[in-house]
Amino acid sequence: MKKKLLSLLLVGAMSLCMLAGCGGDDQKDPAANAGDVAASNGTLTVSLSSSAAKLDPIHYSGTYESQIIQQICDRLVEYNDTMDDYVPSLATSWSVSPDGVTYVFQIRQGVHFQNTQYAQGREMTAEDVAYSLNRSAQYSDNNRLSMLDKAEVTGDWEVTCTLKGANASFLTALTDAGNSVIAKEEVEGWGDNFGYNLSGTGPFYMEKFELDEQAVLVANDEYWLGEPALDKLVFKFITDSNQAANALLTGAVDIATSLSGEAINTVDKAENVELLKIEDLKINYVRFNSQQGPTADIRVRQALAAAVDFDAVRKALYRYDEVKAGYLPLPYGSWGYDASLEALAPTYDVDKAKQLLADAGYADGFEITINVSNTEERKTLATMLQGYWAEIGVTAKVAVNEWGTFSDTVCSGQSDVYAMSWSWYPDPYFFLNKLFSSEETTAIGNGAGYVNDYVDEMLTKAFETTDIAERADYYGKAMEQAMKDCVGIYYANPYGMYGINGRVQDFVARADGRLRFIVSEDGNTVSRNVSVVD
Amino acid sequence: MLKTVLKRILQCIPTLFIVMTFTFILTRMIPGNPAATILGPQASAADIAAMEVKLGLDLPKWQQYINYIVDVLQLDFGTSYMYNQPVLDLIAERIPNTLQISLVALVVALILGVGAGMFSALHQYSVLDYVLMILALVGVSIPIFWLGLMLVNVFSVELGWLPPLGRGSLENGLWDVVSHMILPCACLCTIPMATFARITRSSMLEVIHNDSIKALRARGISETSVIWKHALKNALPPIVTVLGLQIASCFTGAILTETIFSWPGMGTMIVNAITNRDYMLIQGVVLFFALVFVLVNLLVDMIYMLINPRVSYEGGDKK
Repeated sequence: MKKKLLSLLLVGAMSLCMLAGCGGDDQKDPAANAGDVAASNGTLTVSLSSSAAKLDPIHYSGTYESQIIQQICDRLVEYNDTMDDYVPSLATSWSVSPDGVTYVFQIRQGVHFQNTQYAQGREMTAEDVAYSLNRSAQYSDNNRLSMLDKAEVTGDWEVTCTLKGANASFLTALTDAGNSVIAKEEVEGWGDNFGYNLSGTGPFYMEKFELDEQAVLVANDEYWLGEPALDKLVFKFITDSNQAANALLTGAVDIATSLSGEAINTVDKAENVELLKIEDLKINYVRFNSQQGPTADIRVRQALAAAVDFDAVRKALYRYDEVKAGYLPLPYGSWGYDASLEALAPTYDVDKAKQLLADAGYADGFEITINVSNTEERKTLATMLQGYWAEIGVTAKVAVNEWGTFSDTVCSGQSDVYAMSWSWYPDPYFFLNKLFSSEETTAIGNGAGYVNDYVDEMLTKAFETTDIAERADYYGKAMEQAMKDCVGIYYANPYGMYGINGRVQDFVARADGRLRFIVSEDGNTVSRNVSVVD
Repeated sequence: MLKTVLKRILQCIPTLFIVMTFTFILTRMIPGNPAATILGPQASAADIAAMEVKLGLDLPKWQQYINYIVDVLQLDFGTSYMYNQPVLDLIAERIPNTLQISLVALVVALILGVGAGMFSALHQYSVLDYVLMILALVGVSIPIFWLGLMLVNVFSVELGWLPPLGRGSLENGLWDVVSHMILPCACLCTIPMATFARITRSSMLEVIHNDSIKALRARGISETSVIWKHALKNALPPIVTVLGLQIASCFTGAILTETIFSWPGMGTMIVNAITNRDYMLIQGVVLFFALVFVLVNLLVDMIYMLINPRVSYEGGDKK
């Protein structure tokens, strides 16, 4: 009897441990425990979908890294929350020479660096601005300020930037976290470890940075714009989207970013948390080689575009309503978006597609290869395209490669058809020039090899003027021509998906995906200061 | 014994050299360019070329290989492309995190697994034996990723007892650290626990049916002494073998578990290194893993000699 009892106890313990792990000997009150997990007062915890590693502005490569940099450092200008205007930040005002080559910035006075080891809270000067911009222009791994020739101090509180040529995208480039203002002595003092000890003039300073785990930032009470309403800002690196959603539901994080797949559903259905979605500055597209192969013929491109039912494709690819139907080679959030051009997007018409192929001399079809990178979404898309094109007699082979090989194939102009996405700033330059300029045919943007003199001319004009309305007009014309030439199908504008819990106040999801916690719309007064209430 | 150990250590050198060479070749064979991966999709061909020069990837492969070997001989394992820190520092930083959960999981797995295995063996064909072995079968077959998410769903989301991920901090008290360890440890110990249970059961069954054990019983030695002193000792070698492999795995980290629970250990680091084609880090970490496995194997062999003096690795030396 005793033995049996012991046996039962042992099996019971085993089963429990199998299920609950090393003994769920929990003595605490569940509610209190959940509270332990949640952030304390004044602390906002945000999940990022990748681990940040490089925080030196000239070395960062991922958005997740820029999210941290931009809390710690400021830039000369920022985009407003609606992405349609620049807001003064460390520059109080600026002027542009008529030829668009010289920009003169008046630098804000009374701004102090954070009280860190080398800068020790000293006042930021025009020299710091010139140093930071020149450093980025010369050493940025991603050439984030490649248009800048030199930045010089031309007055006590004045910096003059001379560009290599007129380039209206300069101000947009200045909003990039890579072009943040930093202190020279910090860079030199920390050397290669500067990124791990990043400091600047921003609203939060770095308290702790633990690789693959978290970055803990603390409010900079001396921030020039005002005191942040948050005491602490913690970025947790959670690579699995389902776990980011779970962390949100348990209160371990307050804002979960980049939700995908089932995690969207989880957050959407849960109580006490809200799913926020905003059209990202991102487009998904399929491009056709316009230099060689059957797709060099516009009728073939039109036929391939007309043979695909993109409504059905979107339904199959995005089960959680992750995208908005797209039509233009620009995202909805860009100020260059022109809804009147949507009518130029291809419509599903198999008969027309067959006719176009026959007209082009391919009534019996042909063989092509679809190149995609190795993600489920792209692979499914390629398989669907293969099916649609088979109906008009085109035999498509799907080549799935990891990003590097895919990128090499596209850049070298060897891909007949490829599918990918493009994401950048709201300035159309960063979409249209990259996708359609003849100068970009060896880059991944225009790997389709699209060359059109009229489009080049419009893009150049838009590039040389600084008037936004005028630029939008030129970009509209460039887009119209490129869409008529049917070099691609821009079928979706993905949403940025955020999960947010009820304690977060004043948070705005922005189209550029930037998380900003203290914001000014005029450069002088705080218009939005994110806080948490318990 | 000392001579054997020294001999075995010397034998490790060619093994490690082969591992280094193969890792070098394999990393270069993985499709993908680290420079392009680091810079992301918007990088121009010129940016990528500049980054290749910076990382030394513009050199011919053979030259990269020679540079790497020469550096390793000087105990310089290179600098990670992704983290911009020496590979050795990164490994030293991650090992304690990984051991924190893997050793706890291993101890739990060993105690419960061996206990269950012995119980099953001593009560062969009883209902409880079947139940335990079915549980063990489930334990070895269960997908860890699924188990991890389910544990989080039940114990964090639904019950709110335990944190879903991350590592606790002693600043928030000991319970914060312990509570963050429970779910990852539960996930990590499942497979080893089940393996220990199964191997112990089969090994014990073999031993307790031996004539020697029957003879001991016939001599009137108490059952407790027969089982714990004689049978278990004879059943130990296969358990020690499995234990050795599990100890080695403790250092390599658990890729899935660490990823699910955002645990900054060796597992998450190697995943990031592979994803980012961080050649230096991959090479360094694989070499480290190889070293751990070689040393643990050596240790296991030494333990064999201690628990079973009939085992000798002296080979032909003994006449």
